[in-house]
Amino acid sequence: MKLIRSALLILCVAASAQAQQEIKVGGIFDLTGITSDVGKPYAQGVRDGVAWTNENGGINGKKIRLVDVDYGYKIPEAVAAYKRMTGDEKVIMINGWGTGDTEGLKAQVNQDKIPYVSASFSAHLTDPTKTPYNFFVGPSYSDGLRAWLKWVKEDWKEKRNPKVAFFYGDNPYGKSPIEAGRRFCKENGIDLVDEEIVPGAFQDATSQLLNMKQRGADYAYINVTTTGVSTILRDAKKLGLATKFGSNPYGFGEALPQVAKEAAEGVTGIMVDVPFGENVPGMKRLTDFHKKNHPNDTHDTFYVRGWTYVMVWSEALKRADKSGKLTGEGVKAALETLKDFDLGGLTTPVTYTSSDHRPTTTVRIYQIKSGKLTKAKEYEMERKQEWLGL
Amino acid sequence: MLCGEFHTTYASDMGIFDTRRARWVLIAFIVALFSIPFVAGSYWLDVANRAAIAVIAATGLNILTGFTGQISLGNAAFLAVGAYTTAFLSSHGMPFLVACPASGIATALAGMVFGIPSLRLKGLYLAMATLAAHFIVEFTASHWDAVTGGVAGISTASPRIFGYDFSDDRRLFFLIVPACILHLYFAKNLFRTRVGKAFVAIRDQDISAEVMGVEVFRFKVLAFGVSSFYVGVAGSLLAYQARIISPENFPLSVAIDHLGMIIIGGLGSVVGSILGAIFLTLLPEVLRLATSALSGGFPHLVQLFTPLKLAVFGLTIVLFLVFEPDGLADLWRRIRNWFRLYPFSY
Repeated sequence: MKLIRSALLILCVAASAQAQQEIKVGGIFDLTGITSDVGKPYAQGVRDGVAWTNENGGINGKKIRLVDVDYGYKIPEAVAAYKRMTGDEKVIMINGWGTGDTEGLKAQVNQDKIPYVSASFSAHLTDPTKTPYNFFVGPSYSDGLRAWLKWVKEDWKEKRNPKVAFFYGDNPYGKSPIEAGRRFCKENGIDLVDEEIVPGAFQDATSQLLNMKQRGADYAYINVTTTGVSTILRDAKKLGLATKFGSNPYGFGEALPQVAKEAAEGVTGIMVDVPFGENVPGMKRLTDFHKKNHPNDTHDTFYVRGWTYVMVWSEALKRADKSGKLTGEGVKAALETLKDFDLGGLTTPVTYTSSDHRPTTTVRIYQIKSGKLTKAKEYEMERKQEWLGL
Repeated sequence: MLCGEFHTTYASDMGIFDTRRARWVLIAFIVALFSIPFVAGSYWLDVANRAAIAVIAATGLNILTGFTGQISLGNAAFLAVGAYTTAFLSSHGMPFLVACPASGIATALAGMVFGIPSLRLKGLYLAMATLAAHFIVEFTASHWDAVTGGVAGISTASPRIFGYDFSDDRRLFFLIVPACILHLYFAKNLFRTRVGKAFVAIRDQDISAEVMGVEVFRFKVLAFGVSSFYVGVAGSLLAYQARIISPENFPLSVAIDHLGMIIIGGLGSVVGSILGAIFLTLLPEVLRLATSALSGGFPHLVQLFTPLKLAVFGLTIVLFLVFEPDGLADLWRRIRNWFRLYPFSY
């Protein structure tokens, strides 16, 4: 007993000595759950981004220590992980993942003053009067859907209104932009004829697609992750549907044409970050890191996304550290000083203010043409006050 | 020095403590228990609270399955009823001392309704009927948005008693653990009463119980009621402890876990419920610590954690069923006797 106690004591002393040069950041990732198809490359991107930052000067000389956990896309697991990270590990901020867990924890992070930079682009997290400690890096799901509907309107050549259907999962991520989409359709002369709900993990979408066919949808927006999107696309191809499909920031990437093959041809999607290896100034450090550490791995746009997150919050950590306020409040304030912060073309520059946490309203739409992701259109969505938080 | 248990009166045979020393050991244990919050970090306090909640829920299930012989797969559903009742009441400003018992009563009523099929059904068929309860509650929880918050879930304010805010796990410990002890005390005593004996009689042979004058249906429904009350209180405490509850908190695997707890711990034993619940709450935490300690050298091990947890759980159940069918409770009894009767244990 005595031995254990003294060993624990030594550990504690060692840990606190180490903690002086370390900044602890929590990481809540999905490596095994229903969104692990995109969650794994994202987590890898964050880990590599942290490793790169530590190799290149850290946070003004201090090292970042990522305390990460796989929560399997389960809200209770995320809550338990959050308790562990803020309680024992005393992390200064958290890099989160899903919409359900991020929205579930929003009151808690506000109470504990823990900046929560999450991979969820849910627009519900953009209004600082309600969620002052929530941040993300990219246009919101809602702005993405609005931009895609705008593209539909331009792409549609017939006299009558275009008919649109939404596919989404029965979870907070799936449902997040739907209300915004419904309103946008109503205001812009688009007929929303069908909404189909798909289960968390599914191998077949035939019945939903037949329903949609009956309603005569010309376009359909799929709000699930890439695996689900390719299932829907393949089933649609089998049924010979003429509907044009579009997809969301987590349902569209390099994997889609590889998995769905010719069924993915012509499909449009919101791309928040450029594909891996794209010729932009910010890509060099990623490709260099990739060549040096794991040259045989393949990476995608979600991997790039992980990097952009680290770039944004590590900059905030640097600024907070410089002003001597390396606390949750200090990091939040530092994030809100980011103005047109350039990410080397990996994604659009981001801006946060204390009254608006929409990082950007620029939405890029890509299209799959002969198996390649090609940029089709870029929209600058309006920064409407009534769209804040919707 | 003892060389066996010799009861000379019925009263001492029915006593909770078989020896005077057991009483002092228990008191010392409770004192040690309440020193945990002063030494443990918040992670282990979270685990301790979840273990205490699991003890209440497992005891509830043991009353129904272990003592009365009515198998139930509806424990996750009953847990959900309790948790959502608390979340709903507390969001309407109800204090803890109203919300928690009310959740227990609401769940007891739900349990009695779903227990009605037990009049006609036994064994596997009853398991299927309670499984139906699970799916009905799960569907309601994820689609009755106005009350349950739907798939996004609902958050619960921290419990308050006379203005004192039990806002973190350290403070919650002093709420959850006494509640747990109270429920265990009641359960232990329940089986010294007429009602408890009737439960056991139904388990052992329902027809002969009926012949002896036990109203089988009434006591079966009562067992469902008492059991669900326990589970409802556990659900209520869970809502306070987890802060956010969503349908994901109550998957079918929770009901299976609870069954695992009472099988590993010992069917028809209050001590068994305690040991089984603690064992199965600690098991994933120990595995998690082991995988994350090893993940420095083997980074892919973190991804193995979830499947590993299930595999170890399954293996443990099989091993217990084969080698220790009376569970940890029996193991505990043997260890205790060995020490107590040392060196004359024969």
